[in-house]
Amino acid sequence: MSRELHIVGFQVGRETYGVPITSLHEIVRVPDITAVPDAPDYLEGVINLRGKIVSVMDLRKRFGEKETGLKRQNRILVVEHAGRLAGLIVDSASEVLKIPSDAVEPAPAVFQEGGLNCVTGLGKVGGRLVVLLDMSKLLAPASLQAKSENGEKKAKTEAARGAGAS
Amino acid sequence: MTNSPDERGAELRDLFYETSQELLQALNDEALKLEKRPGDEEIVRSVRRTVHTLKGDSAACGLRELSELAHQFEDALSMEGAAAHAAVADIAFAAADLFSEMIAAYRKGHKLPSTKKLSKRIEELTSTPAAKKSRKKKSASLNKHAADWTEYEKLAMLQAQANGQDVLHVAVKIDPHCAMPIAGRQLIQNAVASMGPVLAVRPDAKSAAASKHVEFVLASVQTPQQIIAKCKIPTIAEEVTVDLLYQATSAGAQAVPDLTSDSKEPEAGKEPGISSAAPQSESQFAASTLENILRVEASRIDSVLNLVGELIIGKSMLQQALNDFAKRYPKDLLRGKFADAMAFQARVLNDLQRSVMKIRMVPVDQLFRRFPRMVRDVARQCGREVDLALSGQETDLDKGILDAIAEPLTHLVRNAVSHGIESPEERRKLGKSPHGTVRLNAYHQGNQVVVEVSDDGRGIDVQKIRSKAIELGLMTAEDAAQLTETETLNLIFRPGFSTAEQVTEVSGRGVGMDVVQSVLQRLKASVSLETRPGQGTTFRLKLPLTLAIIKALLFWVEQRLYAIPLNAVLEIARTVETEVHQVDNYEVLQLRNQVLPVLRLGRPAGEPGRSSKLFVLVITVGERKYGLIVDALEGEEELVIKALDDHTFSTDLVSGASILGDGRVVLILNLSAVVEHVAHLRPQEMGRAGSGLLLTHTDRTRLALTPPVGGQA
Repeated sequence: MSRELHIVGFQVGRETYGVPITSLHEIVRVPDITAVPDAPDYLEGVINLRGKIVSVMDLRKRFGEKETGLKRQNRILVVEHAGRLAGLIVDSASEVLKIPSDAVEPAPAVFQEGGLNCVTGLGKVGGRLVVLLDMSKLLAPASLQAKSENGEKKAKTEAARGAGAS
Repeated sequence: MTNSPDERGAELRDLFYETSQELLQALNDEALKLEKRPGDEEIVRSVRRTVHTLKGDSAACGLRELSELAHQFEDALSMEGAAAHAAVADIAFAAADLFSEMIAAYRKGHKLPSTKKLSKRIEELTSTPAAKKSRKKKSASLNKHAADWTEYEKLAMLQAQANGQDVLHVAVKIDPHCAMPIAGRQLIQNAVASMGPVLAVRPDAKSAAASKHVEFVLASVQTPQQIIAKCKIPTIAEEVTVDLLYQATSAGAQAVPDLTSDSKEPEAGKEPGISSAAPQSESQFAASTLENILRVEASRIDSVLNLVGELIIGKSMLQQALNDFAKRYPKDLLRGKFADAMAFQARVLNDLQRSVMKIRMVPVDQLFRRFPRMVRDVARQCGREVDLALSGQETDLDKGILDAIAEPLTHLVRNAVSHGIESPEERRKLGKSPHGTVRLNAYHQGNQVVVEVSDDGRGIDVQKIRSKAIELGLMTAEDAAQLTETETLNLIFRPGFSTAEQVTEVSGRGVGMDVVQSVLQRLKASVSLETRPGQGTTFRLKLPLTLAIIKALLFWVEQRLYAIPLNAVLEIARTVETEVHQVDNYEVLQLRNQVLPVLRLGRPAGEPGRSSKLFVLVITVGERKYGLIVDALEGEEELVIKALDDHTFSTDLVSGASILGDGRVVLILNLSAVVEHVAHLRPQEMGRAGSGLLLTHTDRTRLALTPPVGGQA
């Protein structure tokens, strides 16, 4: 009997992604976002989460989606990582998925480079693929800084796009 | 008891690490005094007391090497003649340093520094002819108690007796199975001390017998039974015996003869023993004052302060609601009631905030007191004669700020001594007293605390800074010639300016001034300097009272709200586009009779969608003034600063954020970084120098893609 992973699934573009439920703090509607000058474009800004200032990253921009307007079903996943809260804008948040740990495959090597090094594995749920994300890599300052370098960003967005299509 | 002996030991050690800092500071202070008045017996005694306490404490924690060294030093000091030795002060300094190194090594689990050198110096102290003859005779005591008491201790016993306390002898046999006898011993000592002042302890904590038994002389009003009950700590104390040494003198008439007869007996019965155990009275005193002092983790106070911050946000929410209410029902009687309640709540909240902040406040003396030693050392190294004058030590400052300025201040003081003050010969030639003076002063000024470091040395040569700046390629000769004196002086805060070795020598200031500056900027503090050739230099640090709450001015740039600290704002002016001139790729504004460099926070000039009327905030950063062009003003507000997640946002333009009463987030700008951005512009960017700093990605895209916009909501 293998262990089950509890994953919160959400959509960015056409894909379903997942983060471990343990790293999720809450899911909120998108409030007013205060933009921060001099920040990379996928860092949307900061929000007031009941008196706490939480920085918000637009996962759609991070993963190279073109459609980045805000709609009613957009949500912010507030995740907790290393004691800090961070918000992730996603297209919609769906459900809690239970994935047996043997149904998770390691991320293909091609993901390890470029903007998608935050992918830890691919989970299979009822014929669908769920891309599992590693919070520490997604929010790691190093990967963010690298992303904010302009030249690299383009390359990575392309890489991300390529990976998303595969 | 639930704690294991190991945990208790660790707790003890932590406590020791903390208290030892105070002891070392005291040792330094005493050594300084001793240096001024060599041979003063009183000071030597107090050095001895300090070393003794250190010895006892360290032994109790099982730090053997430290306690042995302290013991040796203490022994040496107790010899007659040793006090007169000129090297005592020096050795005390060296000992303080070594002790501190050892403690640091214990703490981090590093290898201990060698004690051989100091130990040898201490030996020399005792082997001088003056000291030799004075080693007091050891005489075997035939007292019925195993230990013999020093004269001082005997005196203390008699005093306690006269004060109406019984003097008791408490002997405790430590359980041989106790896992940590030294820590256990300390626990017993604590238990004994809780019943009254401990007048003497035997044997010394460091001796081999320390782990087997321990004896106390205790002045107490408790009965022996009570004491036995208290000391009988299971698994530590195997056997406790209590004997009455001297009965308390209850009636005055009886007291006199009793006292005299008692006082003769021990003196006749025993020769004074080796006076290695110094009086315990000091620690008693400390203990009694400490009872009213709580050691609280700073984080706990911070969380209270955070909650107060939330309350302040809540206050402005209420205020906003009240304003709305007043607008909607201007005649409603409830309005007055609400306003009264609000005012009351605001007042209490203010008091609350002030009280919490006061908890975090500590006198700057905590910082100042480490300087006498440092000034002495540096002065000696550089061959200067320097007096340090301290004033305003009682001025309170936030602990966090105090800790943060320790390094910059040390730097400034060190510089003042080594570079500011001339050598004694030079000073004599100039007709000054050969003794230079470095002055440290602190005082309140409005909402700020000012800390000054001044010297009466040679001052800074402005001309030399200019030529150095040109030499380093920071500016052209023409530019340099145009700088005012203050502007030139501020060049020393430029990173890179100070790295060249010669600069330090010619300008007298240098290494790391940019570090000083950057630390202060982080604190939203400022540093300025004043210098008069031949008469000295003064550095003035202006520090905020607290880091958590600031008064801020709120304004709009590109439909977004920003705030800057109000104390940086000199004035708010209105002007029109035609008053802004282009000079050398920089925009400047003529305001009355001054010309200010201008920073456009929003879109650049000439872009459409901007009205020709402008708001200008005149701000000071360091000593320079700038004009910030903003779109509109919002007002003044008290902001509770919350840190931005700097892992995510690497920008230095924003120093923090705050939440307004209506839940909006406002970003607080880091003015020095904003100004810096202009100062370090690359030539090709010069055309649009100082504009569009606060535009975000989306703004830029919008401006570039859709030229004629009239602003969008």
